[in-house]
Amino acid sequence: MTENATTTLVDEIRTVLREQLGEGVERVGQDELLAEALGDRYDSLAALEAVSAVESHFEIDVDFVSHDVRHTFATIGRIATFVRDELEDRERLRERR
Amino acid sequence: MRELTTTGPDLWCTYAAVRAHAWLGRTDAVDDAGATRDYLLSHRNPDGGYAWSRGMPSDTWATFYCTAALKDLGEPVPDPDKTLAWLRTTWSGGAFAMTPGQEPEVWATHFAARAVIEVLGDQLAAQELLTWLAGLQTPDGGLTWSPDHRSDGGDVRACFYGIAVWRALCRQAPVEAPWDVPALVAWLRARQHEDGGFTFAAGATTPCLWATYRAVGALTMLGAEPAAPCTPWILSMRDADGAFVRWAGYQVPDVWATFCAVGALAALGEPLADVAPSALRRLSQLACPGGGYTYREPDAAYDALTVSAALLDPGEENDSHELRAWLEACLLPNEDGIMYMPGRGAEVRCTAWALAAGAFRGAEPERQRIGGWLASLQNPDGGLGFWEGRGSDMVSTAAAVEAATLLGGTDRTPLDTDGLLAFVDECRVTGEAEAEAWANSPASLPSLRAGLQAQRVLHACGRPAPDAARTLLDRHRVRGGGWANQGNRVPDLLSTYEAVATADRLGIPVEPDHLRPFLDRTGGAHGVAWSPLAPLGDDPLARCLHGLLRARLSGARRLPALTLS
Repeated sequence: MTENATTTLVDEIRTVLREQLGEGVERVGQDELLAEALGDRYDSLAALEAVSAVESHFEIDVDFVSHDVRHTFATIGRIATFVRDELEDRERLRERR
Repeated sequence: MRELTTTGPDLWCTYAAVRAHAWLGRTDAVDDAGATRDYLLSHRNPDGGYAWSRGMPSDTWATFYCTAALKDLGEPVPDPDKTLAWLRTTWSGGAFAMTPGQEPEVWATHFAARAVIEVLGDQLAAQELLTWLAGLQTPDGGLTWSPDHRSDGGDVRACFYGIAVWRALCRQAPVEAPWDVPALVAWLRARQHEDGGFTFAAGATTPCLWATYRAVGALTMLGAEPAAPCTPWILSMRDADGAFVRWAGYQVPDVWATFCAVGALAALGEPLADVAPSALRRLSQLACPGGGYTYREPDAAYDALTVSAALLDPGEENDSHELRAWLEACLLPNEDGIMYMPGRGAEVRCTAWALAAGAFRGAEPERQRIGGWLASLQNPDGGLGFWEGRGSDMVSTAAAVEAATLLGGTDRTPLDTDGLLAFVDECRVTGEAEAEAWANSPASLPSLRAGLQAQRVLHACGRPAPDAARTLLDRHRVRGGGWANQGNRVPDLLSTYEAVATADRLGIPVEPDHLRPFLDRTGGAHGVAWSPLAPLGDDPLARCLHGLLRARLSGARRLPALTLS
């Protein structure tokens, strides 16, 4: 995945999360901890909603234990990396078929 | 025991402290009022109701405490229409319940009615409520928790709550009290002891400020007075610094004693100027850093669940003798169960945790007292609530059954097995899609934990249903490890703990390879998390449950059936 595509993915994730987390998510740095930047707005319930929104938008399936969601969904950059990897895995599985 | 202190504020204490400031006309002296307001608002749920702690479902108790304290602070209640709409969901026909779907009782009815009328300024239809209130009067003249409790006899708290609802209705339009008032006044006056203080019920021997405040308040609302002066007794409940203690000989002047003393003096029309300086000074010592209050100095505020958790946690190295002694000191006069915080009122979950942690091991007289208290808590519908007079719920019923088992089995205590089974059946959710599902109370939503708790009650009553338990465990099993309370997506520590504890009780195998990944993901060198989504932290209850599951994984010990919510 090219840097441009990754940047696009980060932007797309910001758009997906804006509905749950508000416009403040636009100003959170890619590597900034969402819980620190957004405080109470990014508690467990908000994180759950963020996972659901990402799952729904990218049509991927997040496992709450094996995917270490607390780490993965802590920053926008990590979410983007996770989504990129999941989409690539899905693509490879399709090619094998 | 310093590391076991309850670090945060408590809603019950925060309400009491703010109300005491209001009686003294000194809400300007509330410590860090802005942060206290934020603490109260943090209890608000999206449904418009308020919960007693963040993440819990809304109930009328917390909704009244939060909204009344906000009003005392001069702060607006956000979106009051939504809060009113939520309160109306607890109307159960005749009166209010603590949560939607529970049986109505006078605690909940008092909190809901006063929140609607006195705090939020709305109206209630009086007639049906007055009919229900009339049914609270017992043959001896007092009031009890609900019309179905009439054979239990009166209780001073029930009198205060019932009379306060009638008084709230009178604010809408004057209406006759729906009781034999002379008999009610006589019953209340008979609760006063020779020294001037009151007790809650007939037969209780230790007068306390809590009962005295409720009795004096109830009599005042009826336009009556105590049989004999009680102001000297109230003023005698002060220590050398002028702060109030719960009863003679009680060691610590706490927030509830201050609230009760100031409230009683205010109800009696006594001047408050003399007691105000010491009361305000004491309340300020009980303020938490960052807003809110706890029941005593924050660095010495232990609670029964945390202390029990420290005793149960295989990874803890505490002086078990000291911790057990602290727990056993939570069995106080007048109510024979363990309190969450000393002097607060005995609570069934804390009693189960404390017994599981070894409190009163071998102390037969105290164990018999606790057994009798559990039996007295059983409601006419067969279930048990958090404390005396509260509506039944599955959490408390399962905790009571576990406590009874720890005392030697349900056959050793007078818990009525047929009643327990009837309550479990009431909570069963029928319909094809929800076969083998149970809810925390009739008409509430089904959950894994309610189902597991129901299974343990059935098992203890000699009616085990392992097939139903397997169905529940399969339905809520999470792919990567652990169990979820709702659906099968987000596993959590409490549900996973109850799943393993229940499976073990019923002889259902648990795959270590399913449990281990969940424990690895929710615990590590940096702490323990309640779910894979929650941050790692240092919550002693989470640490205890995680440690017990680890020990269970290595085959080291049998899990006590601990319930929280």
